[in-house]
This record gives sequence, C-alpha cells and structure tokens, in this order.
Amino acid sequence: MASKAGDWRNYERVLLPPVKDLHRLDVFENHGGYDALRQALTTEKWNPSSVTEEVKKSGLRGRGGAGFPTGLKWTFMPPANPDIPRFICCNADESEPGTFKDRQVMEYNPHRIFEGMILAGYAMTIKTAYLYVRGEYADWITHMERELEKAYAKGYVGKNIMGSDFSMDIVIHKGAGAYICGEESSLMNSLEGKRAYPRIKPPFPAQKGIWNYPTTINNVETFAHVPLILSRGADWFSSIGAPSSPGPVLYGISGHVNRPGVYEYPSGMLISDLIDHVAGGMRGGKKLKAVVPGGSSVPVLRADMIDGVAMDPDSLREAGSMLGTAGMLVMDEDTDMVSFLRRITRFYHHESCGQCTPCREGTGWLENIVTRIDEGEGNMKDLDLLIDLCSQMEGRTVCALADAAAWPVRHTITRFREEFEAKCRPSLVATHVESAAV
Amino acid sequence: MTDFIKNPVVPLPDRMPDPVVAKDDLFFTEDEKKQIATWVSRYPTADGAVMRVLWLAQEKFGFLPPEAVQLVADTLDMPYAKVYGVATFYTQYFKEKKGTYVFDVCTCFSCQMCGGYDMLHYLEDKLSIHAGDTTEDGLFTVQEAECLGACGSAPMLQVTNGPYVHNLTREKIDALIDALREGNMPQFESVTLPQDENELGGNRRTDVARTTTYTTPPVSETVK
Ligand SMILES: Cc1cc2nc3c(=O)[nH]c(=O)nc-3n(C[C@H](O)[C@H](O)[C@H](O)COP(=O)(O)O)c2cc1C
Ligand code: SF4
Ligand code: FES
Repeated sequence: MASKAGDWRNYERVLLPPVKDLHRLDVFENHGGYDALRQALTTEKWNPSSVTEEVKKSGLRGRGGAGFPTGLKWTFMPPANPDIPRFICCNADESEPGTFKDRQVMEYNPHRIFEGMILAGYAMTIKTAYLYVRGEYADWITHMERELEKAYAKGYVGKNIMGSDFSMDIVIHKGAGAYICGEESSLMNSLEGKRAYPRIKPPFPAQKGIWNYPTTINNVETFAHVPLILSRGADWFSSIGAPSSPGPVLYGISGHVNRPGVYEYPSGMLISDLIDHVAGGMRGGKKLKAVVPGGSSVPVLRADMIDGVAMDPDSLREAGSMLGTAGMLVMDEDTDMVSFLRRITRFYHHESCGQCTPCREGTGWLENIVTRIDEGEGNMKDLDLLIDLCSQMEGRTVCALADAAAWPVRHTITRFREEFEAKCRPSLVATHVESAAV
Repeated sequence: MTDFIKNPVVPLPDRMPDPVVAKDDLFFTEDEKKQIATWVSRYPTADGAVMRVLWLAQEKFGFLPPEAVQLVADTLDMPYAKVYGVATFYTQYFKEKKGTYVFDVCTCFSCQMCGGYDMLHYLEDKLSIHAGDTTEDGLFTVQEAECLGACGSAPMLQVTNGPYVHNLTREKIDALIDALREGNMPQFESVTLPQDENELGGNRRTDVARTTTYTTPPVSETVK
C-alpha cells in the first residue's frame, strides 16, 4: 500500500486557504464566497436535483465519523410537500475525543459552512436549517452568530436569497455538554427540547427526523465541501486523494508530536507521512508506540501495524482500524496503554445516556475492571472477562456508543496484551485470548 | 481502590431544598422575555428553546436550583419534570452552586497524553481542593472535563463555560489565577494553524488580541 494523496507536498488548501481574515464576510466575498450559491440559485444549469447529482458524483463521504456517501443520503429525503415541514441539521457537536477540526472551520471559514448548508437546503427544498453546536464552543457560537447576522443583512440567508424565490433560515442551536448529542437521533431529541436519548432506527431521520419531519443531518466539514464541489465540479473533487473517499481532509493530529494541529491535505495520506513530515515528527525524538487514527472510538494501531497504511477507509480497514473523524492521536514509547484505556473507558461510562442496559452497565463495568487492572489489583482472567463483556455490548444497543466503547477495549487489550498482563496479578491458569492478535 | 464492586451509596438529592433565589428576584426582565420570544419563534414548538432559556437562567442565577427550573418551565409553558429532565441531562448546566470561576480541566485522551492530569493536580494543590470541590472563599471550582475539542493545544482548560486556555503550563495557571483574583477573565485566544504559520507567517486573524501556536509546551516530568 502506498500514499494515495499524490503530490501532497504541493497541495493547495481549499477549505482553509491561506487568506487573512477569511472569516469576515467582505474577505470571503472577495475570494469567491457565495459564488457557488449565486450560480445555483440564478443560473439555468442548476436545479435541486442537479445539485444533489453533482454532490453524488463527487464521491463526497460524510466527515462526522461514519463516512456515509453524502449525495446518496440526500436522495433519501421524500419528495417535497409544501404542507410538511422538513429540515436539515448541521452536526457541530464535535465531542469525539481527539477531534478538533470542525472548530477550526467554524472559526476561520464560517461562511463556507453557511453556504454549504444553504446549497444543501436548496437541493432538498428546506426552509429551516439548524446548526447544532456543542455548548462548550460558546466563543465560537458568538463568533458565528455575528457572521450569520452579516450574511442575513446581505441577503445570503433568509427570505428570497439573492433575489431568487428560495428562502431558508439558519438557526444556531447551543448545546450544553453531552457527547451523545453528536449521535444524529440524540441530536434531534436535544433540538426538540428533550433529554438527548438516541432513538431506535428505523425510522431513519429522512423519514422521521426532528419533530418527526423529514430531516437530513451532516457534519460541519461535509457541508463545507459542498460549495467548491459545485463551483469547481465533481470531477475536480473526486480527483483529489484516495478514489474511494476523495476530497480534501482536515487531519487533526494530537499527542506526542512536535507540531500537533489541524492540517488540510488530500485524503489517503500515509500515517507515517502525517507523523514524520507533516506534524514535525515524534516529540523528543522518542519512538512511536501506537496511533489512534480517527478519534477515541476507533481501534488503536501498534507502531508495527502502520507501515504503508493510508488514511482512507479501505486501507485502514485492512490494517484493522477505521477512519472515524480523522482526528489522530500519536503516542510515544513511554505511554502506559493500560491507563490510556482506563481514561477512555471512563469517558464512555460518563457519556452513556443510560437507556440500554448493556451500555449503561457495561461501560461502568469496563471502567471498573480496567481501573482495577491499572491499580495492580486485577487478575489475568479479567482480561478475558473484558473481551467477553465487549461481545455482550457490541451491536446490542440503540445507538453505536456501546460499540464505540467496546472497540477500544477489545483492540487495546488484544494488541497490547503483554502490558495488561504485566499489571495483573500472576495467574496459574492459562487465559484464552491469543496475545497480540491483529 | 479496593472493593470496587461495592459501589458507594449515592445520597439522593433533596428534591425540595429551601429556595436560594429570593422570590422577588425570580423573574425574567422584559428584555429577556423578548429574547426568549425570538428563540421560541425559531422552532416549531416552544420546547426547542428550552436549552437557550436554561442557559439564560444559569447566567442570571449562577446555577439552576429547582425554582429557576420552575421559572423556565413556566416561561415556556412546559411541565417542570421535562425541564428538570433536560437540566439534569447536560453536564454544563450546574445543578448546584459552584465557584465564581469554574475550571474545567480536560484530562481526556489527548490531554491525558500531554499532561492534563499534571495540570489538574497542580490546580488542586495550588487551591488546596480536590477536583469537584470549591474553594472556601467560593471563588474557584476545579472539575475534570471530557474532551473539549482542543486536543491540538493540549493540555487545556475552560473557564466557567467560556474562554479556553490552551497549551497549559504551571506558569500559565499561576498567571490565570492571579488575573482571575483581580476579576479579569482571560480573553479569547485564537489558535494558529501550523500551515498558516508556514504560509501566512502566523495567525490568519487580524481581529483577535491573543493567539497561540500549536507547539506543545514542554510536558511535565511525570509524562517523561
Ligand atoms: C456516539 C456517537 C457520537 C457521534 N458524534 C458525532 C459528532 O460529534 N459530530 C458529528 O459530526 N457526527 C457524530 N456522530 C455521527 C453522526 O451520528 C452522524 O453520522 C453524522 O453527523 C452524519 O454526518 P456525515 O454524514 O456528514 O458524517 C456520532 C455518532 C455516534 C454514534
Ligand atoms: S448505546 Fe448507550 S448511549 Fe446509545 S442509546 Fe444505548 S445507553 Fe444510550
Ligand atoms: S482531549 Fe482535551 S481537548 Fe480533546
């Protein structure tokens, strides 16, 4: 396997291009801002279905973690009926540990998000769009509200956008601190003013979404890609990076590297390139021990597993992990994998909404047992117990949080079993799970 | 930790505590009501605005005692139990009185790797309290937080659901506490993109007073 990112060293950024003050409306306009929208609303070439077609053709896949093809998702909306309200929702809850890319778009290119949302709204005949931002991003909410007001004043949002007969409102909704609100059906309940319990699917949001009306939910970065897909064309977009999941990607790199941060590069970058050449290499010249490629819920990769692995869904699946949110955590040789896992289990225990027994109880047990091992009071058989517990949780709950909690446990234990065993009390009985299974 | 199976018995909260907000103060002003009406108009039902109104109530009263929750319920014509359910679901709504300044120190994932716990323990030592507690003078509360979406500038903390303080060091914490004792909240700090440092010679925003780079600070001894 090789890098699918092509000549990434000469890549020119498009989502966060090097333009001073791009977040300001006047600067944004001077750099082609809202042009795609003007084209879509005022020229013959575009109508709602051709916009959807173009997005479909581009191969854009959702950037919220699940990687679902965006254009396809839009076609799930039932035919527009003027008597039935319908909504789109931009998911800016961004709470997956290790993920911090959406916040950069909100700060540096907010109008791009608005433009993408209006284009999506046009494609799906929407009157109201909600932008659900996690409550912790209070400063960025204020920032975006200020910019949104300017966009309203200039007629880019609101009634009869750019003199066309298309009208759409954008409402910024402030959350209040719950990871689970990032899950789309939980987000819908939260918007409705309920406790944010995820809903059983089906029905899917396109059938019964917010207030049981048809709804489409996409991530911030997903929407932000839409304007350029229209103005530069689907072919341009699909030629960038890995063919199976093309386009620019915001890689959020954190942990033990010299220059952590959000970087925009084509999809399909090699993990090793990202660490060594993009993020400035390992801090203090230490050796790499492990990488979590896409947020806390995706399986961790050992250093010897990343050779030639690229950041695209296929390559990562082959390697034994997932792309997730492309928020990558890099860990050096001194990292204690047991306490690393302990903190992750704590996170999921804290964030479980408590609706399903396997998740509510299971996340607590995972935390308790991993904590016990970390404190030196665990037994060898606890490791098998943990793996068994994971099997009891995966795929048995209303939403995917239980799976997201179980995967890191299962894979951290199988891939770093020696470390876990070293912290357990010695056992006379052999345990069942093979060590270091890939 | 021993005997983890024996979960500690959690005392049930007093559901009818004495009100802390005086009856005369328990209302929304005309301006606030106008603001609430605007929020309500943006949703098909008034319930959609409940999170914003709870935020407003929390900013006004400092936290959300039952009488404040009741006020929100009455304002939006919602059942008390429903609003109480919402208020207790989200971590950012304070159900009990906190210090004037609340430090949410991220110790999750990337922050854990970059010394988040050292920062937490340093704060605990400095203020002589445990995470979750408030100083005797009622000025500071220290809490452990889950990922706040600033993992590139780890370790970090958030002050009272407001500004972020990135790339924490002990010196930064000392300065922060001194400033807060004088009543100065930290200003918004924009975080540079590493690519902007190369291509724009620094931060892209000219309208912010403070910026920080992503370069992680020297991480504490315990992280080796
Ligand atoms: C537990 C859980 C948490 C999630 N958190 C987020 C999130 O913070 N942000 C996000 O965009 N998607 C999140 N998702 C994914 C959403 O459910 C949904 O798939 C996504 O917003 C769809 O947008 P996309 O197609 O553009 O990726 C989460 C999913 C789960 C199961
Ligand atoms: S899996 Fe967990 S978070 Fe998801 S609905 Fe069930 S209890 Fe809630
Ligand atoms: S882990 Fe601390 S901000 Fe993400």
